[in-house]
Amino acid sequence: MIREKNKNSGIKIMQNKFYPVVFLTIIVLVAVVLLMYVSNITRVKILEQREAKILNQLKNIFPDMEKYELKDDIYIILKDGKSISYAFIAKGKGYGGEIQTLVGIDKDFALKEIVVLSNSETPGLGSKITLSSFTDQFKGLKSNEVVLNKDGGRVDAISGATISSRAVTDSVREELNDKIEIIKNNGY
Amino acid sequence: MNSLLTIFLGMVLINNFILSKFLGLCPFFGVSKKLTNAISMGTAVTLVMVIASVATSIIHKYILIPYDVEFMNIIIYILVIAALVQIVEIVIKRTNITLYNALGIYLPLITTNCAVLGVTLINAQNNYSLMQSIISALGGGLGFTLILIIMSAIREKNELADTPKSMRGLPIAFIIASLLSLAFMGFNGLL
Amino acid sequence: MMEIEEKFTAKRFWKEIAKGIVLTNPVFVLVLGLCPTLAVTTSVDNALGMGAGVIFVLLGSNIIISLIRKITPNMVRIPVFIVVIAAFVTILSLLFEAYIPPLYESLGIYLPLIVVNCIILGRAEVFASKNPVLLSMADGIGVGLGFTVSLIIISFLREVLGTGSLQIFGKKLFAIPVLSQSPLTIFIMPPGAFIVIALLMALFKLLGVLKNE
Repeated sequence: MIREKNKNSGIKIMQNKFYPVVFLTIIVLVAVVLLMYVSNITRVKILEQREAKILNQLKNIFPDMEKYELKDDIYIILKDGKSISYAFIAKGKGYGGEIQTLVGIDKDFALKEIVVLSNSETPGLGSKITLSSFTDQFKGLKSNEVVLNKDGGRVDAISGATISSRAVTDSVREELNDKIEIIKNNGY
Repeated sequence: MNSLLTIFLGMVLINNFILSKFLGLCPFFGVSKKLTNAISMGTAVTLVMVIASVATSIIHKYILIPYDVEFMNIIIYILVIAALVQIVEIVIKRTNITLYNALGIYLPLITTNCAVLGVTLINAQNNYSLMQSIISALGGGLGFTLILIIMSAIREKNELADTPKSMRGLPIAFIIASLLSLAFMGFNGLL
Repeated sequence: MMEIEEKFTAKRFWKEIAKGIVLTNPVFVLVLGLCPTLAVTTSVDNALGMGAGVIFVLLGSNIIISLIRKITPNMVRIPVFIVVIAAFVTILSLLFEAYIPPLYESLGIYLPLIVVNCIILGRAEVFASKNPVLLSMADGIGVGLGFTVSLIIISFLREVLGTGSLQIFGKKLFAIPVLSQSPLTIFIMPPGAFIVIALLMALFKLLGVLKNE
């Protein structure tokens, strides 16, 4: 008897014309709360991952670094409390999307090393920008030399992947010029 | 100005949704058999893409980023697109019945067209401003329409050809898409 | 709401899984979910990641949608399905970003685009909203595996032909001597994706034609 009654009242609720709207709203709210919860759990881990990735790369470029400070998007590499070199991230538009490059420079603004952090270039072609055969060419270059060979500079483009090569080269040069300005002005 | 033109041409020719990003393939192979259908579908997709880009780029800038809930973008974008498609359908039905008859049946399909969600995600990923988002959506939509038209014209002719039995229908359509994609790779050095 | 639901048995469970992989293979037979099939099959690693992601979302959404099937109003069922699917995709994307960042980066926008993968919404509408939970789980696993197998086949062909070697989880399994020096790069690029899937579809069709005759 009671079951029968419950069933009836259940049907009644479902026949209410606001029921669909209320139901959808409840589903959305449940989803949002659930996502908030999951994001809270993963947030720390995600930030850690990003942090660790940068720190690892910086340590590779600057083996004698002790710690770093981040000011105006510039990683100031410190040893004995003094800045010994700098690093920053350059973003360029490649063939498949954004290419992010971590650029390490000396105190006299010559390139020390570049590392391609992320790219969505064509695997086996544009993605060769991540290989040391490409990135090693940048070592020791001054900002005015960071130009593709065919444009009168000192960087050989990867054959068949001029767009990707140019994206890296141009973004590194432009960002370098910007950062030199900032470093000089603020005396980091 | 220059960057708007770059975005536009990039979306139409170089990063073409169908040929290089593979977005919107389901409707692509479904409606590219006839030229008239292709034009209607292309128009409907472009329209929804532009409106959706405006809405989502405002939401992205003024809600998701300030409250640091960017991870919610998937669920919010898809709901916005679903709602917009409904609204566009109702508005067109009320105002222009000829247009509705031409586009009507394609509109519901657009909610699950990955090209629409794709363009909003690309805008967010590249941090495009409102104007840049509109241009990128317009370029994406026109590029989609362009390929749809070319494809349907080729397929209409292809109907008359003597295609091997196992290649008929979709397989040969994919081969045609492959050749088009190869041809469009020639635009790579343009920008 | 009043359809007669099929009784659940272990035999049905396995049959449902097998059906998803072979008979109703989502990619080659039903031609669904094409965007990711073509976009992320540049390497076997990516294909495995995408496959695992789709199985996770498909399984999760099938379970939830099947659980709420009796109280879901018909009028708003599609928005409800979309919200459930989008929630699972967001969870997946957060998990990938936190624990497998390289995969998260290489899948790019195709990870969130799982939301509009026609396969998942299709299974919700055709199967999960009409069948009990365990059967819906079987369906989710079967179709998900079918999708993954297709991705692996395509990506295997593309990676081997396009780079001349095969890498799984960062380890080089083999390299073909001449091919790896001058690989057929076209297979990694978009036109190659279209060619590979065209030939595989033709092959499936040919097999079907032979079987019928």
